Amino acid sequence: MDLFPMVLSLRVSALATLLAFLVGVPLAWLLARRRFRGRDVLEAAVVLPMILPPTVLGYYLLVVLGSQGPIGRALAVVGIDLVFTWKAAVIAACLGAIPLLIKAAQAGFESVDRTLEHAARTLGRSEWSIFWSVTAPLAWRSLLAGGILTYCRALGDFGITLMVAGSIPGKTQTIPLAIYDHVQANELSAANGLALLAVGFVLVLLLGVGRLARVRF
Amino acid sequence: MLSLEIRKRLPGFSLDIEWSASDEVVALFGPSGAGKSLTLQCLAGLVRPDAGTIVVNGIEFFSSARQINLPPQARRLGYVFQGYALFPHLTVAENVGFGLKNRPRLERRRRIEEMLERLGLAGLEGRYPRQLSGGQQQRVAVGRALAVDPDLLLLDEPFSALDVPLRRQLREELGVLIREWGKVTVLVTHDLAEAYQIADRVVVYEAGRVVQAAPKAELLWQPASENVARLMGLRNLLRGTVLKATPELIQFQWRGHTLEAVNSPARAYLPSPGTAIAFFIRPEYVRLIKKDRPGPDPGHHMNLMDGHIVREVDQGTTWTLLFRLDAAGEPNQGEYDLEIELPKLVYEILEVHRERRWQISMHRGSIQVLPTT
Repeated sequence: MDLFPMVLSLRVSALATLLAFLVGVPLAWLLARRRFRGRDVLEAAVVLPMILPPTVLGYYLLVVLGSQGPIGRALAVVGIDLVFTWKAAVIAACLGAIPLLIKAAQAGFESVDRTLEHAARTLGRSEWSIFWSVTAPLAWRSLLAGGILTYCRALGDFGITLMVAGSIPGKTQTIPLAIYDHVQANELSAANGLALLAVGFVLVLLLGVGRLARVRF
Repeated sequence: MLSLEIRKRLPGFSLDIEWSASDEVVALFGPSGAGKSLTLQCLAGLVRPDAGTIVVNGIEFFSSARQINLPPQARRLGYVFQGYALFPHLTVAENVGFGLKNRPRLERRRRIEEMLERLGLAGLEGRYPRQLSGGQQQRVAVGRALAVDPDLLLLDEPFSALDVPLRRQLREELGVLIREWGKVTVLVTHDLAEAYQIADRVVVYEAGRVVQAAPKAELLWQPASENVARLMGLRNLLRGTVLKATPELIQFQWRGHTLEAVNSPARAYLPSPGTAIAFFIRPEYVRLIKKDRPGPDPGHHMNLMDGHIVREVDQGTTWTLLFRLDAAGEPNQGEYDLEIELPKLVYEILEVHRERRWQISMHRGSIQVLPTT
């Protein structure tokens, strides 16, 4: 059995989760702690990826990242080509999974008693310092749960990845895409093997972390 | 020095207050939801008033006219929150040292040790808040607030999370600690005894307004109005009608009797005849007079009235007698007119359990007359 899709998937999902943290945690904090104009719009927008058809998301991503798109063109200038590379797969997986992280982190931040943050303020700490020394440490379970769900969701992305990264064996073919290819080619035992591997890995991850850190999803 | 004058509108509530205090301990007293805690949050910079000014020790914390609003971080204050708000993920030592982050490590450690020692928390530095008793948690909260050596200490209901016996003991300890520390302190409480024990000055709040601000002794004997007396929970708060008022004496009608009370020339409260007034007499200042034996000095007997005991309540060390006057009309407080409080020994000497009918006397100086509100 070709293990490349497995290795690629694990790596892409890990990077997608990292990216989701970098983008999602500040957004979740804003939603949980700040009142500003357009907050309701932002709150609705962050769950859109869960609701829209993956092909629609993939199509828009292609438009934005493609050689004619605003970001694609800017990146092309510095010699970076995203579309149909594993980097595009990372962005695709991140986009599909980030609502899970944002929602979990937002709920986690909201569950932290604001009085504790007030106390830190009266003790002279900056907002940045308060986030790292009070809010984040008290919301760590939610952040961990959100991170794991995000990772698992990223592992399973199909539609968005197919649109922007394609299904190039040995290059951008992740587990879900490889399974699809195997089924198309009537290689059912290979499809079965990969599917079992994926399900087993995700289950072990969810149960293991759930038990060890007493995280509830 | 502390002076503030602020307005803040919230949905369903508005705060509009003004008071000041010199170097001393101030208690904000009043029922829940009167705006005491909100005032504290404005003082700390956690809530921004809509308008007004806050000046502490000559520094303008807030001024809507001059567009000044110092962040809490710049106000140099210690805040003991209701329920303490200790960081649950940090140890006692880390909690106390939380505000000392920018100090050199050695100084920081020394300061933490000093605070723990002073508050009797030595040996507990490695514990987490959930492993502490209520009293220890309170001390950690106070230590954390004082560790940064603030110029202003704010305490929000510091005893509300404690059991009653512990409350009394800690009240004394905290009172001593605050005096030793000796800087401006503002205490929020809905317990008058707490305000009295700790504070020099009491500011009485009701529904977002200040109804009286006075040194505590003055408040006890001269509540500014019937309303303040009611908020203070004073017993035997009654209403009469003025017959005559001079700077020395007020004569008024109550339940068919003519009573006299000492007026204070300093207050110059001179209601015109026919005005409704409020008055109160503390239950322990109403005297029972034994019929067959004249009192030691009949000259002290004033405002004599007859009546009978409707009911008596055992208060442990005292008896509370509910007394109804022989007068036409409904009694003033439901089934009775006056509460009378007697030490158990006096109750036994007078053999109150045998005799239900009594003559009572109220000394002129014990009756306090107030404007109705």
